[in-house]
Amino acid sequence: MSGLRRLFRGENNYDFVRLWRYGLTASAALVVLSIGLLSLRGLNLGLDFEGGTAWDVPTSSLSVSETRDVLRPLGVAESKIQTVGTDLVRVQSGTTDPAKIQEVREALAGAAEIDSDQIAVTTVGPSWGNEISNKAIRALVLFFIAVSLYITFALRDWRMAVGALVAVVHDIVISVGVYSLLQIEVTPATVIAFLTILGFSLYDTVVVYARIKDNTPMVSVAGRTTYTDMASLSLNQVLMRSINTSLTAVLPVLSILVVGSWIFGATTLEEFGIALLVGLLVGVYSSIFVATPIVAYLNERSPAYRTVRERLASKATGETRRVESRKATVPTEVASDAQAAGSGAASGKKLPAGYSASHPPRPRKNKRR
Amino acid sequence: MRRSGLPTLITFVVVVLGLVVAVLAAGWSPLLGLDLQGGVAVVLKPTSVADEEQINQAVAVIRNRVDAIGVAEPDITIQGGNVVVQLPGVKDRERALELVGSTAELRFRPVLQTFPNPELLAPVTSTTVAGVSGNGANATPTSALPTAPTTAVQTSTTKNEQSLGMPGGASSGEYALGPLPRRQSTPAPSTTNAVATSVVAAAETTTTVAGVTTTTVTPAMVPATTNDTLNTSWPPVTPRDEDTNDATVIMPEYDRKTRKETFRYALGPTLVTGDALVAEKTQATLDPSNGQWLVEITFKDGDENVGTWRQAAAACYQASNPQVCPTGRLAAVLDGIVISAPSVNSTFSSGNNAVVTGSFTQEEAKDLGQKLRYGALPVEFERQQTQDVSATIGRDALKAGVAAGLIGLAIVAIYILVYYRILGLVALTSLGLSFGLLWAIIAWLGETRGLALSLSGVVGIIVSIGVSIDSNIVYFEQIKDDMVGGRNMRSSAQRAFHGAMSTIVKADLVSLIGAALLYWLTVGPVKGFALYLGLSTLLDLVASYFFMRPAVVLLSSTGLAERRPSAFGVRESRGHQGAEATA
Repeated sequence: MSGLRRLFRGENNYDFVRLWRYGLTASAALVVLSIGLLSLRGLNLGLDFEGGTAWDVPTSSLSVSETRDVLRPLGVAESKIQTVGTDLVRVQSGTTDPAKIQEVREALAGAAEIDSDQIAVTTVGPSWGNEISNKAIRALVLFFIAVSLYITFALRDWRMAVGALVAVVHDIVISVGVYSLLQIEVTPATVIAFLTILGFSLYDTVVVYARIKDNTPMVSVAGRTTYTDMASLSLNQVLMRSINTSLTAVLPVLSILVVGSWIFGATTLEEFGIALLVGLLVGVYSSIFVATPIVAYLNERSPAYRTVRERLASKATGETRRVESRKATVPTEVASDAQAAGSGAASGKKLPAGYSASHPPRPRKNKRR
Repeated sequence: MRRSGLPTLITFVVVVLGLVVAVLAAGWSPLLGLDLQGGVAVVLKPTSVADEEQINQAVAVIRNRVDAIGVAEPDITIQGGNVVVQLPGVKDRERALELVGSTAELRFRPVLQTFPNPELLAPVTSTTVAGVSGNGANATPTSALPTAPTTAVQTSTTKNEQSLGMPGGASSGEYALGPLPRRQSTPAPSTTNAVATSVVAAAETTTTVAGVTTTTVTPAMVPATTNDTLNTSWPPVTPRDEDTNDATVIMPEYDRKTRKETFRYALGPTLVTGDALVAEKTQATLDPSNGQWLVEITFKDGDENVGTWRQAAAACYQASNPQVCPTGRLAAVLDGIVISAPSVNSTFSSGNNAVVTGSFTQEEAKDLGQKLRYGALPVEFERQQTQDVSATIGRDALKAGVAAGLIGLAIVAIYILVYYRILGLVALTSLGLSFGLLWAIIAWLGETRGLALSLSGVVGIIVSIGVSIDSNIVYFEQIKDDMVGGRNMRSSAQRAFHGAMSTIVKADLVSLIGAALLYWLTVGPVKGFALYLGLSTLLDLVASYFFMRPAVVLLSSTGLAERRPSAFGVRESRGHQGAEATA
């Protein structure tokens, strides 16, 4: 049976505990690399952060060098000139003088043989970038605080808040690293996209955490598995959902990128698209490979779960470690039978939905204890 | 728990469809932001610390100005201490921005001397004079303008008394200040103008058209102005920080159309400030006696108001006090730029009214009226960011956004249908319904609140496709889990919902918290994005609860899942598994 097929049927069981090691190593390396890149190359900050003026000329007849020739007599020949898509020439310059801006506009319109109304002009004062960055950072800090509180209360586990935050910071650092590596221009659209990524990454992490929370009684009440194994099992249970969700989120974003920016040449859409794509992928990855192992690690050190682990370790050999591996091989009839028994055995505390069904009680051979 | 859910389902679908139909019937459609339909946006930041009341006052003044230029859907908001002005659909960027941002106090200063721009003066030949006199005061400059460069120059030099850069209107204007005309008076403006222009060589034509007192041309003016033009030197403009009320300053005047500097004026100390004006009674009106546009000015009572005006007028009328006002002209200066420099043709010894006359077009008169009226903002602003989007680029962005959204949606739809079969259909219907709701809400917001849908909002909505579908996926996967565990769909559909919904709510709340904070704390496009992300997340919750659950429960109760498992993409696995187990 192929891995895909197993996934489709919800019979997957990957040993995430082992995968986490690779994942965390890779993440650490990427984070270090990103920080290194950032300090070495910095970011390619766009107009809105640097101040100046941009002219968007909708033309396919002007080349960069022709445009430069047009601008030379106006004293703005040192401007950054680029072609965007097939029919847009973008000129950026540090000037904010209205008369000069108009002059350039007219000149560009003349050269492109279009009406000057058709040229889009954006002018940004020098302090605007600081202003929006400061506001965004303030919003971000408050957002982190609010989300931490929310996760702590909603999932009743502050460790999950820590895990979620580490994962989000990880996402931001790596996304910024990609921007630094490729020297893609950072614009307000990028900032928005990054904020979306934060939301999405947290959203994804919370879905995984909710499942872990639902499965916690397996450890705390039934005491039949370690927290880490339970977390790995939970990931297996939500894996198909994670994949499907990521695909449904990534497909529209890919569409924004390919259709919106490459075919239609809408620059703002391109700015959104790249950041979103990078961030979505990193965000989905981090909820599985960063957020979950952190929570598992933290919880294994909490007294309650440690005792469970120690008890299990003394009782069984390596077998106990991969409880979830049986999930796929349990015959269905046994599962249904055991389910009734299992829910009865849950000593007063109600087991969550999905627990007994998706994770059937251990097979007979374990009854030897 | 055996609820059919059918009533909920039907009610929800009917409500959504009803809302969409209602919005359609009302003819509402989403209001497009200026990055989608073109227009101008500017973020104004106070240059000094300003309290809330000052900002609110400023917003009121800016709103008045914007309303006065007739923007269809202006959006003026205070965002984090900044004033954000969005003028979708405005074609003339500079004119709009100038009106919105002109912050300085209005000052009336006597004109001491006039300096025409030597660059513009050079090509002016005798032909121009002929041209002007031929056209007379009612010259329609639009016809004269685009013909030849020399004519263009001529127009700009002749109209020395026009305001700063407001392209869009063109006229060779000659302006004068006079008392309010009585209705029965019928001066002959065109003839007086023609005479005046033919006398004055290159430029300085100041004519008088105002009321009974002005049936005679003021002969003192003409020599005075011609003398000015003899001085062709070009003094530097006084820097902003030296522009105080008591100083003698050099100020430029710009041509409305070409934005070229036409004149510089040596101006004496301020005689009257904009504070003396009654803003509500300063306006452009049509003089019914001769069909000319003029600007009416009304001064407040009191020595410090109309009193200063009468003194100034007395000094300037026929240049009776050459120490103060040697040319007989009084310049209105706004923000270091001369917006009008009419000659004074009355002593204004009584009454509180004055008019500025000349061969104004309606647009010019209104522009001038607005500038005089709303001259002063309580705080000074500087432009932080201006954005000027052409209508074509806006339309292209909208097209690209919509196309990207639709194609993305189509791919997602195919994937979901292949993967979840009939359940996928439920997911897509649910998405469609929440889209319908969203559309109705956006249209409603646009219609009643003037909230526009911007490109970042469109992106927010496209991104929310993923989140909306995810709610369904969480639910379906939970059902599948249950069914792998051996339940039938009928029982798992109800049960799985509780687990799934708690996950959905928890996750959606994170998005909502984020959206709310962003909406609160940020400026400009981020705000729009947050609004639509938050809205669609909320709608996702609504659709999950009122549509997804009853629909799936209903489907499961038909027993279709048991008879045709493959139609759900879930039970298929069980057969295989059974086969494997027996093998």
